[in-house]
Amino acid sequence: MPKDDHYVIIGNGPAGNSAADTLRKEDPEAKITLISDEKSLYYYKHRVPLYTVGGCEPEDLSIRPYRSYLENRIRLRLGQRVEKVVPAEKLLYLNHMEKVHYTKLILAVGASARRLPNHAGFADHLYCLAGLDDARRVRKAMMAASRLVVLGGDLISMGFAREARKAGKEVVFILYSSLFWPVSLKEEIQQSVTKRLNSLGVKVMSDAEPVTDVRPEGEGYTLTLPDGEEMSTDLVLSFFGSVPNIRFLVGSGINTEKGVLVDHLMRSNQEDVYACGDCAQIYNPELKDYWVSVGWGNAEAQGELTAMNLLGREKVIDYQPKEIFEMDGVTIRTSWWKTFA
Amino acid sequence: MLTQRILFSHPPLKKTGDGFFTGQTPREKPMKREIYSSQVGTEGTSGMLRIIKEIAFSDDPRDFGYMADNVPCQHACPAATNIPGYIRCITENRYGRSYELNRSYNILPATLGRICSRPCEAACRHGEDDLGDPVNICQLKRAAADLKPAMHRIKEDLYAPSGKSVAVIGSGPAGIGAAHDLAVYGHNVTLFENMPEAGGMLRYGIPAFRLPRDILNLEIANVLRLGVTLQTRVLVGHDILLKDLLKKYDAVITTVGCMEPNRLGVEGGEMDGVVSGLDYMVRTNLGQEVETGRRVIVVGDGFTAMDCARTSLRKGAESVRINIRATEEYMPVDDHEIREVKVEGARIYSLVSTQRILGSHGKVEGIEFLRTRLEDSPDGIGRIAVPIDHSEFVMEADTIISAIGQHPKVEFGQPLEMHGQRIGVRPGCFLTSVDRLYAAGDCVTGASNVISALAAGRKAAHEVDERFAGRRRKALLVRFEPAEQTDRDREYDFIKPVVMPTLPVKDRLEEPDNEVELGYSEGEAGKESLRCYLCSLKYEIDVSRCIYCSMCIDVAPRDCIKMISSVAQRPDGSYGEYGETGNWNDVVAIAIDNKRCIRCGKCYEVCPMNCITITKTELVEVDREE
Repeated sequence: MPKDDHYVIIGNGPAGNSAADTLRKEDPEAKITLISDEKSLYYYKHRVPLYTVGGCEPEDLSIRPYRSYLENRIRLRLGQRVEKVVPAEKLLYLNHMEKVHYTKLILAVGASARRLPNHAGFADHLYCLAGLDDARRVRKAMMAASRLVVLGGDLISMGFAREARKAGKEVVFILYSSLFWPVSLKEEIQQSVTKRLNSLGVKVMSDAEPVTDVRPEGEGYTLTLPDGEEMSTDLVLSFFGSVPNIRFLVGSGINTEKGVLVDHLMRSNQEDVYACGDCAQIYNPELKDYWVSVGWGNAEAQGELTAMNLLGREKVIDYQPKEIFEMDGVTIRTSWWKTFA
Repeated sequence: MLTQRILFSHPPLKKTGDGFFTGQTPREKPMKREIYSSQVGTEGTSGMLRIIKEIAFSDDPRDFGYMADNVPCQHACPAATNIPGYIRCITENRYGRSYELNRSYNILPATLGRICSRPCEAACRHGEDDLGDPVNICQLKRAAADLKPAMHRIKEDLYAPSGKSVAVIGSGPAGIGAAHDLAVYGHNVTLFENMPEAGGMLRYGIPAFRLPRDILNLEIANVLRLGVTLQTRVLVGHDILLKDLLKKYDAVITTVGCMEPNRLGVEGGEMDGVVSGLDYMVRTNLGQEVETGRRVIVVGDGFTAMDCARTSLRKGAESVRINIRATEEYMPVDDHEIREVKVEGARIYSLVSTQRILGSHGKVEGIEFLRTRLEDSPDGIGRIAVPIDHSEFVMEADTIISAIGQHPKVEFGQPLEMHGQRIGVRPGCFLTSVDRLYAAGDCVTGASNVISALAAGRKAAHEVDERFAGRRRKALLVRFEPAEQTDRDREYDFIKPVVMPTLPVKDRLEEPDNEVELGYSEGEAGKESLRCYLCSLKYEIDVSRCIYCSMCIDVAPRDCIKMISSVAQRPDGSYGEYGETGNWNDVVAIAIDNKRCIRCGKCYEVCPMNCITITKTELVEVDREE
């Protein structure tokens, strides 16, 4: 009864959208629903730093209008968080207590900002930038700020530093070289990162990790550095990459570690549950390790692949997607990440 | 008439001569503490609804079933600690009373308040879906101990001396539990301990930064002063033989625990630099030198593994990596412990299995792992980690600590029926294959947790006492007391968990014995205590007065008030699930489902007929009448 199939995709990013489109193309009859806890339409992630400094407006971020989903008969449910998945009953629970049945489920929930455990004591005072909700908060805070401290960093921190400098903000970058994401910085890359940041007019501190305290003071914040010295600033941002949004799956019976554990066909351990993109974790026989892919291109490719596998057309994951990341002028060769502290 | 139909159709429960309850046989003699006669309804019928007008006691299985379902924390506690009771005492600033209430169930509240594995919190109703996070029950227990007045009064209900003597082998949690209860019963107790001081795993397995020794000493001293003789540095089977103990004492309870570490059993396991987690902790706690390299690898996912990782960081290890076979989700330690170990700087590597240990000239240099994948265990709930072929990789290390469990070491010089590596006992009892020799705690169950061992020790003491006295001298009953108020505000449900302050990491590592958790202040303890739903309060609707206006249903915060057509009854006589109906013609009652009820008191406030009653329920241990 293919007509009764209900494919549900959780996540409105590149992996989710590419999966939805592939499913529609290959299975014109099926009912397809795409659920996202974000309220905004599918948006360009790399424009988010520009948005935070007021360089563009929300509508400039969106990739795909609502109409496009309508035409493709993809039901789009935005601003609705999935609270729980019950694979045994093929049910999802939304946060407003609604139950949604699925015949096949794709988890493309992406990742959110990774926060360091040793920042836990002052995490409330750190701004992150993973989704658009984060971006709105940062944009609001940035209006009144002239001096920023960035802790980190990761693939988007450099783009952010550049935009912040362009907008005339003073930026201090406290570099956590061993915790850089997705790969810890080797001497050579660290030098080129530092050089690039310096050329943007960013002050780089490479021997000030980890910051031991951040506390509000007046309108701004005061940081304490490991040597006890204090620094005041208007805003502190934390950029340590991302962690898959899998908390809601704990206890569901779906195996997770850093991400959702899937096999080479993107299948989880539970029947008819698949995962792809930034939330999927795959064993890579060449690396002899599990890995989570990073980047837009990989997410789109995995979304398509997952959709094909879901429809029974076996396509095996390419273990070495050739991707080189340009981090604002600095090249990092990785398409995956393995560990985080 | 609706009031007639509320009376449920099942026959009344009767107690028969053999002590079992059944719905069929006629009553032979009335229960002494029968209270079902106060039920609402016509003569000869039984209902679940009773209006409690005065303090009453019950030993009816329906009431025990109610307590198990409705006070989930207490039911989850192996020692059946009256958790809502002691939390309420904290709200009322009666810390001494709260501590004593704890002590009457678990003997070592200040100790357990720091290191308990907290099965209660996993069961707490506040942690159910959509209700937030469980109450920090364990930390409140500690707060009661920390904040009780100096020199408060210790309460022990002592029985007259019996003239009987009992030897208890091992002074860990099970031994302490057994010795305490035996002493209370009036028997002469001698506690034999192999190590220099009493406490067993509490002293030698758990690091001082989690359990300060002055706290442990004080609570053990409170047991010893009941007249328990402690003989340390005595190894039964070596310094004194079990058969001599059996000659000298009227009964012997062995609570020797699990003091023999499981070995990795892989190539290279005997090399210099490989140490078992238990040895590592015992030697540290004895104040002995134990070599800790710069790069430490811990294998194992339990409390001992976490303690070893944190201890090695305090001994100056620069990198500490914990390797576990499955994933963090399946670790047997709580989230709190995982967070602390990470905050202190250790890292956890999931999905690895030890293959062999590498080194040269007999000295460890590294460890080879295989990656694992998870497969469902036969029960479908757990996971089995299966090594992946050709996935080997090496981590360099100077010290490898294997903390992969313990088993009992039983060398009494006397044949004893064993259950695998554990001591065998008669089903449902503590008696071993040797007459007058009892066993309890981890040496019977395998490595478990402190509270389970302690509870088992106490139960073994009751069994020994029954042998001496010829009858059970204490019994559990359910106590009911009418309550006039809810004791809660709806706002309390939205208080966020109060995080216990901890020592900054720098100060932890500077002085290894500095206690990490700093305890609640009075304000913090009081605030956290307000979060408890007080599940021991039972809400009922008196349907004889209910006008079915459904105002209570309108204000209910969740589906806790139901229109029901029937109530299931379980084989043990306790009540099961409610049969709900949306059809008014089938409604026999509007009932509060106390398993869903969060005791917010809103229904009690709005009821125009005042037909909702609140009853305080409590499991109490009482003297059985002779």
